[in-house]
This record gives sequence, C-alpha cells and structure tokens, in this order.
Amino acid sequence: MANWSGRRKYLTVLLFIAPTIIGILIFNIYPIIFNTFISFTNRNQFHPRPDCTIFLTSVLEPSCWPMFEGRQRGVGQAYTIQDPLFQNYANLLGDLFTNEGLSALLRLLIALLPFAAASQLNRYFDRQLSRPVNSIVVWLAAFVMAVGLGLILDIRGAYDVLQRSGDFFIVVFRTILYVAACMPLFFTVGLVLALILNNDYIRGRTFWRAIMIIPWASSSMAVMMALIWQFFFREQGTINQLLKLLGVEQAIIWLNDPLYAFIIVVLVNLWFSYPFFFTVILGALQSIPPEQYEAAEMDGASYWQQLIYITLPLIRPAVLPAVVLSSITTFQMFGTVWAVTRGGPVRGAGTPGATEFVMIYAYKQVFQFNAYANAGAFAVIIFILLFLATIYSLRVTRITKGAYE
Amino acid sequence: MNRRPKRHILILQYAILVLSAIFALYPVWFAVLASGRAGGRLYTLDLVGMFIPTEWSFENYRYMLFESNFLNWMRNSLFVAGFTTIACMIVATSAAFAFSRFRFWGREFGLVLLLAIQAFPAVLSLVPVALALTAMGLYGNLWGLVLAYVVGNLVFTTWLLKGYFDTIPVEIEEAAMIDGAGPIQSFLLIGLPMAKPALAVTALLAFMGAWGEYVFASVLVPAPDARRTLVVAMYNYATSNNIPWGYFAAGAVMVIIPVIIVYSFMQKYLVGGLTLGGVKG
Repeated sequence: MANWSGRRKYLTVLLFIAPTIIGILIFNIYPIIFNTFISFTNRNQFHPRPDCTIFLTSVLEPSCWPMFEGRQRGVGQAYTIQDPLFQNYANLLGDLFTNEGLSALLRLLIALLPFAAASQLNRYFDRQLSRPVNSIVVWLAAFVMAVGLGLILDIRGAYDVLQRSGDFFIVVFRTILYVAACMPLFFTVGLVLALILNNDYIRGRTFWRAIMIIPWASSSMAVMMALIWQFFFREQGTINQLLKLLGVEQAIIWLNDPLYAFIIVVLVNLWFSYPFFFTVILGALQSIPPEQYEAAEMDGASYWQQLIYITLPLIRPAVLPAVVLSSITTFQMFGTVWAVTRGGPVRGAGTPGATEFVMIYAYKQVFQFNAYANAGAFAVIIFILLFLATIYSLRVTRITKGAYE
Repeated sequence: MNRRPKRHILILQYAILVLSAIFALYPVWFAVLASGRAGGRLYTLDLVGMFIPTEWSFENYRYMLFESNFLNWMRNSLFVAGFTTIACMIVATSAAFAFSRFRFWGREFGLVLLLAIQAFPAVLSLVPVALALTAMGLYGNLWGLVLAYVVGNLVFTTWLLKGYFDTIPVEIEEAAMIDGAGPIQSFLLIGLPMAKPALAVTALLAFMGAWGEYVFASVLVPAPDARRTLVVAMYNYATSNNIPWGYFAAGAVMVIIPVIIVYSFMQKYLVGGLTLGGVKG
C-alpha cells in the first residue's frame, strides 16, 4: 500500500505516530538520559539538591527551568559531577576488575564451560542421522565435568571473592540463579500437566483447564496474591500450623532463612506462571500430528522414547519464545518478590538481602537509602545487559520478522 | 497416545491433577475463608477450619464497603484503568497501524527502539517520571498515573497490534483506497473492524495491567488515603500491624473474584490473541 508520497504522506504518518513519539520521549527517553546523567554525579542523601548553575543539571532538572523560578528546590547540599567521573560505577563493580576478581570470574566461567560444550555437542549430534549418544547422557557428563572442574578450581573460594567484590555481582548473580531455578520448574510442571490433559481418556478436561486460569488471572493482581502467599509462611502461618499438627513443635520462621526465602519466592512465582506454560505447551502438543506417534509405536518406541524423540523436539519452537520472554520478565520481577520478602532476609547492614533481586535492589537504593547516583549507575549497566538480552531474544523468537520485509 | 493406560498410571495422573488443582485454588480459597472470619483473625487453629468455613460472617465485608475508603479506591482504580485502556487503545492502534501499513523513513529503527527502551528498569525511571509529572502539575494526581501507565503499556500493545495488523491481508484496504478512501478512512473503516479480536485482548491486558500495578501507583500518588488506588491501599492494609487482616482478605476477595470471572470468559480469546499477535508475528 501507500504509493502516495511527498509531504502529505509524512504528515499522515506523523499524525498516526506522533502521540507515541511524544509519550516515549517524555516517559522513556527522558528518564534514560536523566538517569545516565545522575549516574555520573554524587547525588545521595547528603547531596540531594540540584545545582542549577551546572549546565546539564539546569537542562535536565525541571525545577531549574525558568518557568519554575522561585520554587523551593529542596534542602541540603547540592550534588555535583562525580570526581573521578566513573566513581559510582567503580563503587558498584568494586573489586570485580582487579586481578583477584577477574581470575575468580574466569574460574567461574570455566566451570560453566562444559554446559556450553554439551549444548554445542548436542546440536552437532542432532544433525547426524543417528545419534551416537543420548542428549541426556551428554548433559549428565557435562554436569559431572562441571562439578569436577568446580572442585579443582576452588569455586567456593572464587564465589567468596566475588561476593566481597561489591553489590553488583551478588545481586545479578542471585537474579540469574532465580531465573535459572524458575524456568526448568515452570517448564516441567507445565509439561507434566499438559501431557496429562492432552489425553482423551481423562475426564473433565475443561474443568481442570478452567482451574488453571485462576492463578493466571490473579497474576494481574500479583502484589495482592503474593501478600496472601506471604501469610502462609508467617510465624503463626498456615504452614507452621500444619507442621504443628504433624508433631513439629518448633515453629520455623521461614522468611528469616535465606534458603527458605529463596525457595518460597520461586514457589510463589511458580503459582503465577505455570498456567501460562501449561497453555503454551498444551497448544503445541495438540498441533503434533498423531501419525508421528503411530509410526513410532509401530517401530516399538517406548513412551519415554516417544517423549524425548518426538514430543520435546516438536514443541520446542512454541516453547522457546515463552521461556525467553518469561526469563526476561522474571529477571525484572518486582511486585511479587517485594510483597513476599521485601528483598530480605538481610545479613548485616549494607549488604543486599537473599532475595534482593535486580529491581528490588534498585528500588531500595532509590527509595530507602536515597543513593540515587549509585542506583543510576546500576540501572545503566542493567540496561545494557537487558538490551543485549532483548536483541538476542528477538533473534530467537523472530518477533521482528515482519519488520524487515 | 490415546490408548487407555494401566490402572496405576491413571491413578497417578489423577493424583497429580488433584494436587495441582489444590495448589491453584488454595490461596484464593484461603482468602475467602479468612474474609468470613470475624474478629480480625486471619488464621484458625483447627484443621477443619483451614479448608472449610466453620464460621461465617459478613462483618469484614460490611466494614470494607461502608466504613472504609474501599469504594473510593475502587473508583480510583476503575478511573485509572479505564482511562488508561481508552487512551492506550487510541494511541497504540494508530501507531501499530502506521508501523504495519506505511513504509516510511525510520520505521524499522522505531520498531526496534520501542523494544530496546523497554529494557530500561522501570523502577529507576520512577524518579524522572515523577519530576516530569511535577513539572506538568500532575504529580499526586490520578491523571498523571494514567499518563505514565499509557506510555508504560504502549510498547507491548503496539507490538501486539502491529503483529495482528500484519496478518490481515492488505488487499482489502488497497481496494478501498482505489475506491477513493484516504489512509485515515481505510484505517477507521477497514483496519479497525478487522482487528477486533486483537483489540479486545489488548484492551483487557492494558486494563488489567493498570488495575493491578503497584510500584508506580504507590510512588506517583502517595497520598491522601482517599486518592490511592486499590492495590496500594490494600498493600498498606496487609502490612499494617493494627488493621485486622480480615479486612484485607475481604477486600482482596472483592477485587480478585471479578478478575477471575472476566479471565475465564476471555480465556479463549486470550490464548488466541496472544499467539496470533505475539509469537507468530
């Protein structure tokens, strides 16, 4: 369409997208520029006030604009450009880029190498006519190798070094750990339920499916349902009372234990997310032609063989985008975790709590500690990381396919 | 795959289904139970009371409806979510139509840019957004919240609708344009009516997003109590030590049950609309 050209065409296009452009400029581009600028200043609880004599401050802080002249600009000292310029970034990354930190990071990455190798090897095997080794065996071998490498390279020591190196590593590492714990769980639960409900002989399939919609619907009210989940794990909560009935007298304070708190946050997220995975997987299962299974049956394939060689490869294209998108939202999760643990439990002042994931860390830095410059630097680094992840996910899900015709 | 399996496998399968059903239902059921318990107790000490209502009163509901600001909060949330949906639909549909149908300089760049800026942590853009809203005189005002939500939803809705417009054959609009319709007419008379299913899903998602959002609402409209949105007010109820939890439970039930009902009616469209727009693109 649209062979018409010239000024009229551009006016029409502008009419259609101008509201979007204005909105994005004010509520997306401006915050990004503002944050990047703040990340190079020393704005914190001691220096909260904008100093309008600095050119960039006078441009970016609305309270410095001529039309708001005379309005009170807050108390306390003015913030200035940080000296040296990258001080906030240096604080955040801490000792990560010293020799010790880098070697620890390197050791950690080497220990993870077997998994990358296993994934490549499997891909290579997939192209062969007949696989010499089962993919699960390859993964198991990779796991054993990773554990062995970890022992040789003293991963615990490396982790301790990195943990002491500053907030950034520990927060991002825990968030990645959280995503890595959530995704296989979501997928497995979704897959098991979808496999069961894909069978014709199960009665009341509409009923079971209708029940799954309840957590999904509640995920639009995530904070509220997360608060209800939190009630279960309070000291006098449902779980402890059930345990009491079973004879456990000592009440466990679940949310004070780092490991329990982490598991609970995963569990709550599972509750919100498995219906989505279930729905996606069930849809994919129903699009697999039954002839494939009939043929496999003729060849004498067992249920597990059918699952591994037919079902899993065939649902992969539908499930992969769901996993990637869900990973990114889980990485950025705020409300649910905040309502359950508030980022805690915290061991010692000034260190991030056990469930203090990326967004919670940023929120606490800004709204509890007023360490805005520090949070700004954090946001810039996270922005770069997520930006790369988004580009990668675009490639995987091919969501932009239409954009490049 | 449809042969009847052995008996013990069948029993195992039903056991898994029942367990997952309990897992899915119990939190909501727990809220329902707690909302009927008078005297501000959230828990009950007897095992039976944890699963079936042993006592029931509407005291908590009466309090929430007639003595608290609940209806006020409800109105605020409806106001914010309603206007967010309307504004978002107008802005996003026209942008999505333009991105899908017109070829113009900067189109591909714009589409990727839309996705890329979404990678910026929303929590961190709160302070600049609050500054911008203060400059516009909209800080602490529900209209300001609507503006922030509309832009926040824009990326997702634009992409979803653009994907759907891409699946509608362009020939119909070309025929209309040969018959003398301008681009705006072909958008209003042909593009929009054909995108109805996607529009419904997008509207629902935009509404629900604004209805249940917490962080922006708590920072951009901090006070007074009567101007808060539902989720923010209920969060304060649940985390406060001197407000009985039964009130929170009653409020939560009144908020969540309608959402669940709407979702169960929209389920079919939800799945279809999402896969059509997003994944198949």
